[in-house]
Amino acid sequence: METLDSILYGLQVALSPENLLFVFIGVLAGTVIGMLPGLGPISAIAIMIPLSYGMDPASALIMMAGVYYGAVFGGSTSSILLNAPGVAGTVATSFDGYPLAQQGKAGKALAVAAICSFVGGTVGVVALMLIAPGLAQFAVTFGPPEYFALMLLGLTAIASLSEGSVIKAFIAAVVGLMFATVGIDAQTGTQRFTFGTPELMEGIDFLIVALGVFALAEVGNLILTRKRSTIDSAHKIGSLKVTKAEAKEMAGPVGRQSVMGFLIGVLPGAGATIASFLGYITEKRLAKDSSQFGKGAVKGVAAPETANNAACTGSFVPLLTLGIPGSGTTAVMLGALLVLGVQPGPLMLTERPDVFWGVVTSMYMGNLFLLVLNLPLIPFIARVLLIPKPMLITLVILFCLIGVYGVSFSTFDLYLLIVFGIVGFIMRRFGFPAAPLILAFILGGMMEQSLRQSLTLSSGNWTIFAERPITLTLLLLGALSLTWPLVKKWIHSRHQSNGGIAS
Amino acid sequence: MAVCRKMMTGDRKAAIVLAVVAVIYLSFSYRIPAFALAVMDADALPIGLGWLLLVLAVLLFFFGKDSPRTSAAPVTRKDWCIIGAVVGFTLLYVLLLEWVGYVLVTVPFLIGVTGLLGYRRWVVNTAVAVGFTGVTYYLFNYLLNIYLPQGPLPF
Repeated sequence: METLDSILYGLQVALSPENLLFVFIGVLAGTVIGMLPGLGPISAIAIMIPLSYGMDPASALIMMAGVYYGAVFGGSTSSILLNAPGVAGTVATSFDGYPLAQQGKAGKALAVAAICSFVGGTVGVVALMLIAPGLAQFAVTFGPPEYFALMLLGLTAIASLSEGSVIKAFIAAVVGLMFATVGIDAQTGTQRFTFGTPELMEGIDFLIVALGVFALAEVGNLILTRKRSTIDSAHKIGSLKVTKAEAKEMAGPVGRQSVMGFLIGVLPGAGATIASFLGYITEKRLAKDSSQFGKGAVKGVAAPETANNAACTGSFVPLLTLGIPGSGTTAVMLGALLVLGVQPGPLMLTERPDVFWGVVTSMYMGNLFLLVLNLPLIPFIARVLLIPKPMLITLVILFCLIGVYGVSFSTFDLYLLIVFGIVGFIMRRFGFPAAPLILAFILGGMMEQSLRQSLTLSSGNWTIFAERPITLTLLLLGALSLTWPLVKKWIHSRHQSNGGIAS
Repeated sequence: MAVCRKMMTGDRKAAIVLAVVAVIYLSFSYRIPAFALAVMDADALPIGLGWLLLVLAVLLFFFGKDSPRTSAAPVTRKDWCIIGAVVGFTLLYVLLLEWVGYVLVTVPFLIGVTGLLGYRRWVVNTAVAVGFTGVTYYLFNYLLNIYLPQGPLPF
């Protein structure tokens, strides 16, 4: 009954005319930005953050959540139309979406993507509503050791599950933690790495890091690929109609991937990308005729699209209930919320129910807007892809500069932004993932604080982490995630050698 | 010499740079003042991180696979020059922003960088530059109350 009251209260917040407008703006902006190859949800959210300053925290998070799932959907549009996924989470969509577009069925692929995103997102919201209050209640019992272990788990998981080299992912996380140490130490008042610069005493603003290593770094890549042709088939969308037989075909993958995607999203580190790939692979294995996959199978679009949107919603569970982001995107959201004076976590349910329930219920509206917006308007929205790259690049640079200046009014921060942009670009060129860096940067301060509080509680005795069952379990899970890449390699090599013997 | 160059993969170069960064970071970390009463002092985490980065850099040197640069499209000298020029323009923009004002510095920046990157339809380019600058200036200064530098302009 209490939950029902909370939902009704959340609906009241979400259905207010201004919040409806913010959901709409968020979804539209997210779709447009996400569609542009290279600019994913993190860049989209970071670009929108300056606009959220001065807004009510509930409205700000409602808008940013809209940007998030809008960007993931936008990414699938460029995957289908251009075979250039705007977001890593929509790479799997391009496997069958692009072949469908080449067959002149881009409209069908887009319609399937929109419907599946809607279902996946909506199922995710229902699950979020069911899980979040219970988890928050459980998390109230957490002390500093549990929080430290949880954050460590989040960090090791995101580094282990990153694409590419695990060593590089851990290096990125360590560098992120290093950046987090800049400023005055909260406990002893000691200056660390400020080099006597007053601007660095309060530490580095997360927006500078987020915009630098994501959006501005992407500018470098966009410059290198600026001559590649933009969309030439924007007007050859074709019919949006999905037949009854196709709807029936989609039902299974949509049902399974809604649940699976959500659960993967809840796990720290495993976001939309892993959910979509797993979704695609699972459905390919379950299919009676898997030979159609990769050639334009409707199921091949339905599965990843359902899974990635459900995972997006799932990733809000650790953020809203524990205050721990499980992905780079939710880490940026956490940073934005902290700036707005809201500390997400178990107490948010009681202290800021307007933010918690407002955001959760607004996701229904967001998913609905996504569907309504994308089905009839997609041929027009797709024209965003016609923006000449040189203009796009310059506008992204300007958005980043204004965004940072509008927050700090300091040109020092703008120079710092350029430095982070260069760091981010070099990282990309050498294959270092940026998500562990931003997550580590945002968690760094909190992790250090929790570690110190834990050690103060135990008078410097490290066994405090082994004595508490939840802490120990979380640390063991962290250790497991650390060793997971090695285990995976071992399983793979065994599998290969067995296969070799068999053949 | 050629063997040496072959062995020096992208990852190994990155590992050497990271090791140098770790050593510099460590040298600064050890200079952080210590307090006798603190259970965990302000220098503990930085020192730990510095050593961890050093270990990871060594691991990357020996176990890292080649840099993805080998698979990515090669970058020409011209591309590097353009990236350098864009960085230079951006630095100039930041330098002039507070002196000249947002409007007067943004319009030429937009036209200049877009042109530099190869878009030469100057009428469209100028229209977008003026329109974008005007809209963002109005949005930030009058709707969001985030004041962008005015410069010598009266508004």
